[in-house]
Amino acid sequence: MAGNSVFAVTVFFICFRECLETTVVVSVLLAFLKQTLGAEEDRPTYKKLVKQVWLGCGLGLFICLAIGAGMIGAFYGLGTNAFSSTENIWEGVLSIISSLVITIMGAALLRVSKLQEKWRVKLSKALEPRTQHHTQGSKRARIKRWTEKYAMFLLPFITVLREGLEAVIYVGGVGLGLPATSFPLAVVTGLAAGLLVGYIIYKGGKETSMQIFLIISTCFLYLVAAGLFSRGVWYFENHAWNKIVGGDASETGSGPGSYNIQQSVWHVNCCNPMFEGGGGWGIFNALLGWTNSATYGSVISYNLYWICTMIAYGLMIYRERHGVIPVIDPAMSRVKGYQEKAKGFVLRRPTRDETASRWDS
Amino acid sequence: MPFLNRLFIWLGAAVVFALQCQAKTVTYDFNVTWVNANPDGLYERKVVGINGQWPLPVIEVEKGDRLVVNMYNGLGDKSTSIHFHGMYHFNTTDMDGPSMVTQCPVAPGQSITYDFMVNQNGTYWYHCHTDNCYPDGYRQALIVHDKDAYFNDMYDEEHVITISDWYHDLMEDIEPHFITLANPTGAEPVPNSFLFNDTTGLNIPVEPGKTYLLRLINIGAFVAQYFYIEDHTFRIVEIDGIYTEPAEADILYISAAQRYSILVTMKNSTDKNYPIVTVADSVLLDLISPDLQLNQTNWLEYNHDAAHPEAVMTVDVCSDLNPFDDITLVPHDKLPLYTNPDHKLEFTVTMDNLNDGAGYSFLNDISYVRPKVPTLYSVMSSGSLASNSTIYGEYTHPVILEENEIVEIVLNNADTGSHPFHLHGHVFQLVERYPSYGPTFYDHATGDPVAYDASNASTLPDYPARRDTFVVPPQGYFVIRFKADNPGVWLFHCHIDWHLTQGLAMTFIEAPTLIQERVKIPQQHYDICAAAGVAHEGNAAGNTADFLDLTGQNEQLPWLPAGFTAKGIVAMVFSVVSAFLGMGFITMYGISDLKKGGQGQDGSSSDENGAEY
Repeated sequence: MAGNSVFAVTVFFICFRECLETTVVVSVLLAFLKQTLGAEEDRPTYKKLVKQVWLGCGLGLFICLAIGAGMIGAFYGLGTNAFSSTENIWEGVLSIISSLVITIMGAALLRVSKLQEKWRVKLSKALEPRTQHHTQGSKRARIKRWTEKYAMFLLPFITVLREGLEAVIYVGGVGLGLPATSFPLAVVTGLAAGLLVGYIIYKGGKETSMQIFLIISTCFLYLVAAGLFSRGVWYFENHAWNKIVGGDASETGSGPGSYNIQQSVWHVNCCNPMFEGGGGWGIFNALLGWTNSATYGSVISYNLYWICTMIAYGLMIYRERHGVIPVIDPAMSRVKGYQEKAKGFVLRRPTRDETASRWDS
Repeated sequence: MPFLNRLFIWLGAAVVFALQCQAKTVTYDFNVTWVNANPDGLYERKVVGINGQWPLPVIEVEKGDRLVVNMYNGLGDKSTSIHFHGMYHFNTTDMDGPSMVTQCPVAPGQSITYDFMVNQNGTYWYHCHTDNCYPDGYRQALIVHDKDAYFNDMYDEEHVITISDWYHDLMEDIEPHFITLANPTGAEPVPNSFLFNDTTGLNIPVEPGKTYLLRLINIGAFVAQYFYIEDHTFRIVEIDGIYTEPAEADILYISAAQRYSILVTMKNSTDKNYPIVTVADSVLLDLISPDLQLNQTNWLEYNHDAAHPEAVMTVDVCSDLNPFDDITLVPHDKLPLYTNPDHKLEFTVTMDNLNDGAGYSFLNDISYVRPKVPTLYSVMSSGSLASNSTIYGEYTHPVILEENEIVEIVLNNADTGSHPFHLHGHVFQLVERYPSYGPTFYDHATGDPVAYDASNASTLPDYPARRDTFVVPPQGYFVIRFKADNPGVWLFHCHIDWHLTQGLAMTFIEAPTLIQERVKIPQQHYDICAAAGVAHEGNAAGNTADFLDLTGQNEQLPWLPAGFTAKGIVAMVFSVVSAFLGMGFITMYGISDLKKGGQGQDGSSSDENGAEY
């Protein structure tokens, strides 16, 4: 949360990811339709169903945008200034949450090709049983027939709606401390990037270049997340410093008195990403976690973040190559379980498994 | 023998003045102890009393008198001294009073005698000049009456009026919170109230039609005050001991340590009492608590039974008041401007942090740090090296002046606050100031400071006003001149006591060889050093063997480290390396997916995905 008033990086990635996931679902659907109804005599049905898919997408998108706009409008209508007295704590907490969110999303992004596979399986599960009920004529069957008839509408509609609402809740939670002006560009570019990548997947573009793109973007994501994590700790320290000084230390600008010399690792009297918009340094801060006033806490947490990342990825590599790691793997999944619970609690986000199972049954 | 020398000097002076008046010796015995007082009616506190009394006695002498003050320090827990503010101390610089400049601090249980001729006239004051001791109440007026003053027949009665800021806490309790990491901006402690003759709500009984001489003295430690009397104008006849041509005025701005004598003629009716209004300069203050009363009303009491109305504020902020500009005054003696200064000095006032994170004040990047030996004693003990400024140490900021040279000081204020600068042992000519008092005074308080540019100087006054304390405007400058005709060690400093503590001071050593010739320091003063455990010989570092070796001198703290120091670079390198390593791991994991190639299609890894989020 860089105080960047133009581009909210976190928001961009949330939109990117949710959009990508939706696109994957839609692309799987379209591919499915093309496969099953590819013959010339099915042409009208095919066209009708494709229309349904796009209608579902459109309607879902429209509803989410309406709800999202309403929610964000409400947030800012209530006035985020209510938080300003504890702004540093608030921003610190949000920075760390965003950092964790990006970290988890980043790992998922690297396996996006498997996402496609997962949805293909889910779709076939969802569609197959219903075709069997087709011949029966009971009341229940009529409803089922209706759902089946419009499955090609309902599926994308619900997927878009769900992913969209998820994005809205994420963005709302993460973006509370951000200026409203930083939203539109991030949302639009995030959606655009998601669509682009989804389209590339749909078109079955070169898997190698696709994966390289994903690796680069994930590295980038982790740079942002590391910066956010360090920033979060920095905010806590800044809060403590403001408490000592008895005012907002950044009022004094970038110079002496704006930081605690006893905690300082480096301090340059320029390039302050927080002061008067920050200019280019604000973006530098948002992308790489730059600060003109590094503290022991912020430097240590930055390095700690990367060390943890290395350990986690090292373990994941090990697991892929050698299977389940004895002692550590069960512990990891337990921790992830907690993480998921915590995330669900903080962001009030329904966990994926619940929704997925609702759909499956 | 030295005693005889001193005696001869006095005898000489006595002969001169015997022709004009009968000089007498005025002696005060001060037993300084803690007493309790509640001058603002808000809070009773411990104050520094003299002979068990507070408010302190006003010292009153006639021009030409010899003043002797015997002070016993009965405080028990604090060192002290007395500075006679505005006294020239011709050939008695050792009687000036600032600790570690012209004497050692007088430790508890010690006595000191100040003994000097008062060959000057007007309104002065005395105050403690050791650490932050005078805001604890140790300050009072010192009046030098002059039977030859030109305005003597222009008034009927005189009143001495002191105005002052007032703290409820002892300095020893406030000080630890001032120069600390937690106060990086150096915000000055805000007073709790303002006093008028060490009380509030005072009535000055007056009779209609009469003219009164009011001697106004700001004996405060910090805050300047505006002064006016509702529906009355007045004539200024003296500033800081220098008689001026009468100048009509209605509002004064009296900084800490400044004095004005004014003639006020009463109205002819007794219908009404008129508020004497003092308004604290809140621009100087950091955070003003809502219960701090900035405006005080006292009264010219024409009629005891009539109403005593509270002052009606005519402005929203005190800076909208337009005070009389003291630089426009003309001295009564019409001493012409000193031209072609021999010694030009230029100083810049700044505020900054040193590497303890606390706020300090600087003149040309030097924050005054007291020497290990009082500077005067370094003069006395250094023989021919006394003319070498090195021996006085870097951080007393010494400047040596030649006898009788004309000195010009340009003071550029790069700070956003105004500062009342005081020169000991002299009055100086007010040559130029920018911006002047009035509506433009705060014009440069924001933005970039404006430095003096000699090529762009305005027309200088023929007969410049003289005084000993002059206010430099926020981010503006002033130019003053004086003649180095008073051998001695003289401090030049901001009279806001907090800023003096922060080091906003420098030292003039004026005609050091003449000081050695003419000044004889009483043995008692040296004994005080022994009692205080302070050396009375040697250079600023206390070195008596090699006066040019300043090893061990008191120094100002190092500057804040600029930018990247070694640990910053190490931290940066570590961060960059770990970021790249981390990205390496991510890449490895990403590529491993690619290597497996078509394996992703068989759905075997779908459960893994579930674990990802």
